[in-house]
Amino acid sequence: MYLKRLSTAIVATAMAVGVAQADDFPSQPLTLVVGFGAGGSTDIQARVLANVLEEELGQPVNVVNQPGAGGGVALSRLAVNDDEGYTFVFGTSMTITYGPLSTETNYQLDDFRYVAGVTLGQSAMVTGEDRPFGDTWEGLIEYAKENPGTSYATQTALDRMIIEYIAQQEGLDLRIVPTSGGAGMAPLILSGDVDFAYSGGTHSGYADSGEMPVLLSLAEDRLVAFPDAPSIQEAGYDINPAEIRVVMVPQNTPDGHVERLAEALEVATQDERFIEITEERILMPVVYMDEDEVTQTLSDQVTGYRALLEELGGVPGEDDED
Amino acid sequence: MIGFDAILASFGAAFTFHSIAVIFGGVLLGYIVGVIPGLNRSVAIAIAIPLTFYMSAYAAIAFLIGLSKGTAAGSAVSAILLNTPGEPSSAATCLDGYPLARSGKPRKALKVGLLASVVGDLLATLLLIAVAIPFAAVALKFGPYELAAILIFALVFIAGMAGGSFLKGLAAGGMGVILGTVGLDPETGAMRLTFGYAELMEGVPILPLVIGTLALSEMFVQLEEYRRNKDADVIRLSKNADDDLSYGEFKGTLPTIFKSTGIGAFVGALPGLGPSVGAFMAYGFAKRSAKNPDSFGKGNPNGIAAAEAADNAVIPASYIPLFGLGIPGSVSAALLVGAFMIHGIQVGPLMLRDHPEMLFTIFSGMIVASLLMLAIGWYGLRIFAKVTSVPPNIVIPVVIFLCLAGIQVQGYGTFGLIVVFGFAIFGYFLKKFDYSFVTFLVAFIVTPMLEMNLRQSIILSGGEISILLERPIALVFVIITALMVLHLGWSSYRRNASRRAAS
Repeated sequence: MYLKRLSTAIVATAMAVGVAQADDFPSQPLTLVVGFGAGGSTDIQARVLANVLEEELGQPVNVVNQPGAGGGVALSRLAVNDDEGYTFVFGTSMTITYGPLSTETNYQLDDFRYVAGVTLGQSAMVTGEDRPFGDTWEGLIEYAKENPGTSYATQTALDRMIIEYIAQQEGLDLRIVPTSGGAGMAPLILSGDVDFAYSGGTHSGYADSGEMPVLLSLAEDRLVAFPDAPSIQEAGYDINPAEIRVVMVPQNTPDGHVERLAEALEVATQDERFIEITEERILMPVVYMDEDEVTQTLSDQVTGYRALLEELGGVPGEDDED
Repeated sequence: MIGFDAILASFGAAFTFHSIAVIFGGVLLGYIVGVIPGLNRSVAIAIAIPLTFYMSAYAAIAFLIGLSKGTAAGSAVSAILLNTPGEPSSAATCLDGYPLARSGKPRKALKVGLLASVVGDLLATLLLIAVAIPFAAVALKFGPYELAAILIFALVFIAGMAGGSFLKGLAAGGMGVILGTVGLDPETGAMRLTFGYAELMEGVPILPLVIGTLALSEMFVQLEEYRRNKDADVIRLSKNADDDLSYGEFKGTLPTIFKSTGIGAFVGALPGLGPSVGAFMAYGFAKRSAKNPDSFGKGNPNGIAAAEAADNAVIPASYIPLFGLGIPGSVSAALLVGAFMIHGIQVGPLMLRDHPEMLFTIFSGMIVASLLMLAIGWYGLRIFAKVTSVPPNIVIPVVIFLCLAGIQVQGYGTFGLIVVFGFAIFGYFLKKFDYSFVTFLVAFIVTPMLEMNLRQSIILSGGEISILLERPIALVFVIITALMVLHLGWSSYRRNASRRAAS
């Protein structure tokens, strides 16, 4: 009897130790960095993701906002981080695909590992209600051709390049104003101060009220919530700026840690709360993409942007700004 | 926009055990901070912000607002018993509070002060709720032109009103603006004033700046004062039976309380004036309009009531421009902006549209805080009377520890410590040479918003100043700002000239 109990205890202890070793990571709180301001769609989603990961990983996951440079500030910090996966960035793919092309950065595509993609972006060109050009892309282009000084609000270097490319193709003279995040863009569009704008995901919140119609989808296909607006390729522009929301860690992160995070992220993409906030609140499809798939897609996009920049003759915004 | 059910639900959220406990903690802590001379409101909020990281956004804000309100009520205790205001804004309370306490009626003095505080605070909170929502509804329609004009107006107004010389106010504001532009340019992504430090890319970190300039520097100042005067005469509560406040006496002070609340709320709603101005204005008004002005300064309960009602009314009223326009008009409001940002909420008119439930829960939390303030003050009278004698040689090291711990908790590391000490020295000299703190801090906080709106206005208008003719609201604010600069500049020039002539 005694022996039996002892052996049970030994086995139990051994198992506990074994489990503890395999689950070594994470053994302390993690930090989920959001490269955008608080209150935007990335931030809203990140906070729910953190809650889900917290339960899955058994450690607190703190959300920290490091806004600036379209998510670039967070990545340049991550590039010099050697937390072995305890600090990771949840962000949009353009920061890493277009960021290093448009500005001088201390990071490149291959400085990071892309643990997983969890959501497909739904970015778009949007406008407001009752505009003179209506709510179609052709209407806008026609109007902008006749009205030099039509205004556009930009949030990222990538959408700035896209709009410059479109302006060059169509022969438009636009006034391009900077703004920060969806929270900065929405008032400009809703008050009618700006004619049209880039929107990362904020427009989805207005899908029901119709206050922010979509002119053009910047995803690979038409947007789920706005099936009437053409995609950028359908409108005749040869660009694929489709965004993926990915989790990134520094290149030197151990395989075991990346796998553990990827596992937790795959579970998160099946979690009701994460699906609800993503598909019903910010209206983006939840899709799990593994490390290989994400890495391949991103590197294809970089090649595409490089070609586009050559055509434009440099990064827009740099020559007309001094 | 928001249904009655939703409002009711938000009130429900503020009355759960958890939120009451959080607000209770905030008010209690604020009360203690208020009572202890040398620890003031901004010190308390600055070091409490890191403590709120682990709370939900609502709980954190409710805690900080409770803290802020508690300090205003608690500061009366040391003003009355020690003749040393716990907050600078309770200086007016000393005038009548201390004489009344010395004449053997400390309990009566404390109770008048407490009731006046609670009534002033509660009424001003209701005013905030009534005014902020329509205000925000209008402000939602503002574009970059209006916002840029209003922000510039607010900064100049604060520089002119925050006391001291207008030029010094402008200098402090300018310093805030310069520090606010550190980091990446919002349009081109170019580095500005970062001197190669990656840590400065996203701007000067707000928490080390706030803790350094407000809390740590204040401890340096206190240290100096502690060396100078070490003794104070504490009045103890006696068991004297006729030392109490009767209902009739309280009723007698009510008209004063109402009038002073009005003055306090008005002063509070204007950015930059602050509670000290409100309290002294109300005290002066009560004295002038009294039948027996000579009894003021000798222990007249109306004097205590006037000062405390106004002092407390300023706090909620100073949140009107904050929730209505997103412009912080006081140090504590500026700190709340920081706390909101950390918790992922952009404070201002957009809150009304995007987080209405949050806004209403905060408002109901503020009412809960008022009521808790009454309970804590009433039943804790005896204990707080003892807290007044906590010696500074305990307080100062504890606060310095909390300041540095707060920075470490946030993970700023060594860089954060350097920033804290840098700003502590900077804040010390601001205080020594009487440069306005509010102007500096508010300028620092609103600069990114101002810069963005100004640049948007310039690009959208194509650089044409005539756009203002189509934007009457912006035009009005630009004209008022220009007139104010001329007026303030001229009067400070005159003052200087007459001083020179006199000497």
